[in-house]
Amino acid sequence: MGVLSLDLFVAALRLATPIAFVALGETFSERSGTINIGVEGTALAGALIGATVSFFSQSPWLGLAAAVGVGMLLGLIHAIWCVYLRSDHVVAGAAINLLVTGLAYFLTRVVWGWRGTSASAPILNPWLLVWTMVALVLISQIFLFRTPWGLRLRVVGEHPKAADTAGINVYRTRVGYSVLNGALCGLAGAFLFNNLGRFSVGMVGGRGFIGIAAMVVGNYRPIPAFLAAYLFGFVDALQMRLQDVIPSHFSIMLPYVLTIIVLAGFLGRANVPAALGKPYIKEEG
Amino acid sequence: MKLLRELGIVGVSVALGLGVGAIITAATGYSVPAVFRELVRGAFGDIYGFANTMTQATPILFTSLSFLIAFRVGLFNIGAEGQLLLGGFFAAWAGFTLNLPPILHVVVCLFFGAAAGAAWGFIPGWLRARRGANEFVTTMMLSYVALYLTSWLVSPGGPYHGHQWANQTARIMSSAELPRLMASGRELPSWGLVVGVLVAVIAWYFLFRTPRGYEIRAVGQSPLAAEYGGVDIARAQILAMVLAGALAGLGGAAEILGTHRRFIEGFSPGYGWDGIAGGLIARAHPIGAVFAALLMGALRAGGRAVDRAGVAPSDLAWVFQGLVILFVVAPELIRYFKRIRLRRRAHGRPEP
Repeated sequence: MGVLSLDLFVAALRLATPIAFVALGETFSERSGTINIGVEGTALAGALIGATVSFFSQSPWLGLAAAVGVGMLLGLIHAIWCVYLRSDHVVAGAAINLLVTGLAYFLTRVVWGWRGTSASAPILNPWLLVWTMVALVLISQIFLFRTPWGLRLRVVGEHPKAADTAGINVYRTRVGYSVLNGALCGLAGAFLFNNLGRFSVGMVGGRGFIGIAAMVVGNYRPIPAFLAAYLFGFVDALQMRLQDVIPSHFSIMLPYVLTIIVLAGFLGRANVPAALGKPYIKEEG
Repeated sequence: MKLLRELGIVGVSVALGLGVGAIITAATGYSVPAVFRELVRGAFGDIYGFANTMTQATPILFTSLSFLIAFRVGLFNIGAEGQLLLGGFFAAWAGFTLNLPPILHVVVCLFFGAAAGAAWGFIPGWLRARRGANEFVTTMMLSYVALYLTSWLVSPGGPYHGHQWANQTARIMSSAELPRLMASGRELPSWGLVVGVLVAVIAWYFLFRTPRGYEIRAVGQSPLAAEYGGVDIARAQILAMVLAGALAGLGGAAEILGTHRRFIEGFSPGYGWDGIAGGLIARAHPIGAVFAALLMGALRAGGRAVDRAGVAPSDLAWVFQGLVILFVVAPELIRYFKRIRLRRRAHGRPEP
């Protein structure tokens, strides 16, 4: 068979998984009004803590729980910073990325004595997380557009004052979906660890940012965001096969270049939540 | 008065960051007093420590200026790392290819570095202004492209692999070197630092004393008001990103011409990321960036001393840096504490 074979499409689904988890989480977060570029670092933290806990407890399930837990913690910190302390969302996210990268180098040296990588640790079958992702994409699409909770979430991002008037707690809603975003990024990190069997500081490698791009291209909707993530996963799978044909330095660039081209060519930004990135200040009465 | 208040906020944020850093240090089983002692000694303890700090601060000063000029127009250049790498490579290329008289050669090399960075800043600036593409995603993606591109150029299969076993170019000609400020030794700051401080002053003049600089700040504060006032928003955005790229590229050039004297794969341990911290700690002020860069440089120099002394891994300094920015970007946190204090005072004595 040539380069295009069935396993290419299967590999693409696998490589799309971390991107899709992030895209899904960011969809919830941005729909409620919070931009989080800390998803890159949050996924890295999920992989790091997932690997560490799995290594010490010898239980990959505990590792998975820890990955989700640390993701939620970082989502909570980001939400406190954006919602209550009114930091700039992008800047707070960038701070999280820097902090986690530093922690990853530091902790790997403390625990394993190597800078930036871990020893191998017990893993789950990564396909478990692939199918979890697919299920969550479908559930999220229904949740966002067919349930009252989804409607409330969207109102908070579009018109927080109207939501407040209708008795929806804007602050708590934003914090809640930011924590959910963190949990999903934790799953992205958990997938990366379970896919490789060890932690490496470069393992996220921009997939968090590509996840944000997938969400933009998917126009803030779960299923289209997943399809965009699949496209990126496909190119990633393809570039691995092209490494015999062109120098690996160039094939590795493909997903990054594609992200730029896709973002540049994408103009139908109809669904950007109106209150995205703006702090909501409740009137005190 | 405003300056004092800003300084106070930054001071408290830095203290909070280092405080949480101390908790992490203790929690991972390292000695807090030993770590802080080595950190200060390595950064300011003697003339070599301070020389180290200044050497590390030089590229960070450029990337801080790069981040803050884009920040002033309301955009986020988080890809300074890639712009710095490209600038460094092109400066090195001009340094070992062109044959020019001493001072002119340095100027031309710096120009090549700035131009390469500017090109890398123009792409996300144009894409943002004309196509609406998120600049924090595109600058990051371009950073990866620059990383692999420069890495290929000096790899064994690439055209500029100038060494038997290391991925680096040939050495630049001596006419292209930025001399060191003090007599001898590898770890001493070069004239790149002087160039950096000069560029910071020019950046201040540009932002606060020229019409183009005013337009950039106007768009950053309120795009709608700026547009109503007749400012071309797209042009201001593109200009700011081009300048941001040029500044980071210039930083890479200064680092190559002054410290390494050849392009080495991975010569930057993350100076581009340090610029985000530097620009934010400076509260996006070019003169503040000089001091913010010194603080970031001190953390790097001190971190290495912590490692050398065997007290803790140097990456602890990176953790401190992350914590410091996290607190610097939350000025409301400090105002929140202040509000509690004011409320207490208000309850304590009668209203005037």
